[in-house]
Amino acid sequence: MTPSPDLIHELQASRPVAPAALRARVRETARAPRAAAPWERFRLPVRRIAVVAAPAVLALAVVSAGAVGLSRSGERDVFSGVTRPTEDAPQSVEKETLGATALDAPTGTRDSAAGPTTGRAQRVSATLTVEVRNSDAVSRAAQDALDLTRRLGGHVVSSSVTTGEQAAATMTVRVPVGKVQQAIAGLSGLGRIVSQRVTIDDLQASLDALERRQASVRNQIARIDARLGTESLEPEERAVLETRLQRLQRELRELRRGVTATTAEARMSTIELTVVTPDAGAVAPAPSRLERTLDEALNVLVWEGVIVLALAIVLAPIALLGLAAWLGQRLHRRREDERLLSA
Amino acid sequence: MHAVSIEASRPAEATAPSFAAVAEELLDDVYGYLLYLTKDWALAEDLTGETFERAFRRWRKFDPRRGTARAWLLAIARSAALDWFRAESRRQRREQRAETRERRPESSFGEGLSPELEDGLRALTAGEREVVALRVVLELDGEETARLLGISPTAVSTRLHRALGKLEERMRRHDPVA
Repeated sequence: MTPSPDLIHELQASRPVAPAALRARVRETARAPRAAAPWERFRLPVRRIAVVAAPAVLALAVVSAGAVGLSRSGERDVFSGVTRPTEDAPQSVEKETLGATALDAPTGTRDSAAGPTTGRAQRVSATLTVEVRNSDAVSRAAQDALDLTRRLGGHVVSSSVTTGEQAAATMTVRVPVGKVQQAIAGLSGLGRIVSQRVTIDDLQASLDALERRQASVRNQIARIDARLGTESLEPEERAVLETRLQRLQRELRELRRGVTATTAEARMSTIELTVVTPDAGAVAPAPSRLERTLDEALNVLVWEGVIVLALAIVLAPIALLGLAAWLGQRLHRRREDERLLSA
Repeated sequence: MHAVSIEASRPAEATAPSFAAVAEELLDDVYGYLLYLTKDWALAEDLTGETFERAFRRWRKFDPRRGTARAWLLAIARSAALDWFRAESRRQRREQRAETRERRPESSFGEGLSPELEDGLRALTAGEREVVALRVVLELDGEETARLLGISPTAVSTRLHRALGKLEERMRRHDPVA
């Protein structure tokens, strides 16, 4: 059914007009001075704050991640540390070099490791990884390493050579401490140095302690021997002295073995050599400072994301309940409005 | 008719009209809407006054970019009317004296309306009169009316069609020749 134009016209032509009294009342309302309520003056511009705060929080998260990444990336640079020497613990000096490029350097100039101190008993051990071009070069390098070890008066403790696509060689050799620098320099010359680590433990303090104790035990044994040579000893006293003498002699034997072992340890150094090819991928090249920074920053960002996600998981049910309550109340109100307007 | 402006009512909007000017211009619209909605001139006057008081308090919040001043005022008027309907409904339920309610003399919806049309309008529901007032009398478009009533434009169109159909039917019964 289409409404007649007359009906529409009549309705529009008879628009209600507000009575004069009402008009005067509204004018009076509009003319009244309006003082802003105290809470209106301190109203926070929530939307503006949100527009500024959201990017600011995001920027802060990224900047903090970058700062943490930058500070942490420096911790894994070339490091060298000296442990504080104590009476019992041997002094230790360690030097590590990652990603050194000495492929074309002369053999004699490659050693950047700290060398042993002449005249002191020291345990020297080194771990060296060199990269060669291919599988054939791995075999050659292994053979050269064995030759070098023998030439320097050392010997092979263990050796393993794998050929083929995943060609690699690992060997442990011992060479005289006096020639360890020469050995390291020679082994480094087998290929590109991927990593190098030289550890020096000072055994001199331990050796000195062993020798002091050895001298003391010898003196005690000599005194007991002298007393036992006296004929005026009571049988009980003689038995005690003999027991003590036996204990000291056992200790002296142990001390001698200790001195011998320490001296032997200080005489020979241990070198672990690994030869790899680029294809084997056994040792990944050390990441640059930038890569490490980005990696650490990414880690921090991931953790920040995890925290935000955890908070969202915790708060989501509460927010959903609130939303459901709000929607329910709104629906109820709308239905009530419809009911009121249908009267 | 003259406009009374309020100083610094909206300092941020230098070109925006003052509240007094808006009130002067839209008073008849608000009153007409409320009269159609309540079919009671006294109540419509009270609610109109309340509407403009509420609007005056909230005038700083009015943003012309989000809608016209007329739609804004009519939304406040609707809210005031619904509040009154709710309060009245509660009062009636509480006192249970709907039957003994004091009957006011019937109001006219406007000068010049035929008695048949007046009767027809009174026979409509408040919701139907509301949509007639907005779409026909105040000539709001479908979208604006839908936003104001919180329903879809199609629902507005349907409700208007039904209301006008009822009015036509009523008029035809009064004047079978037409």
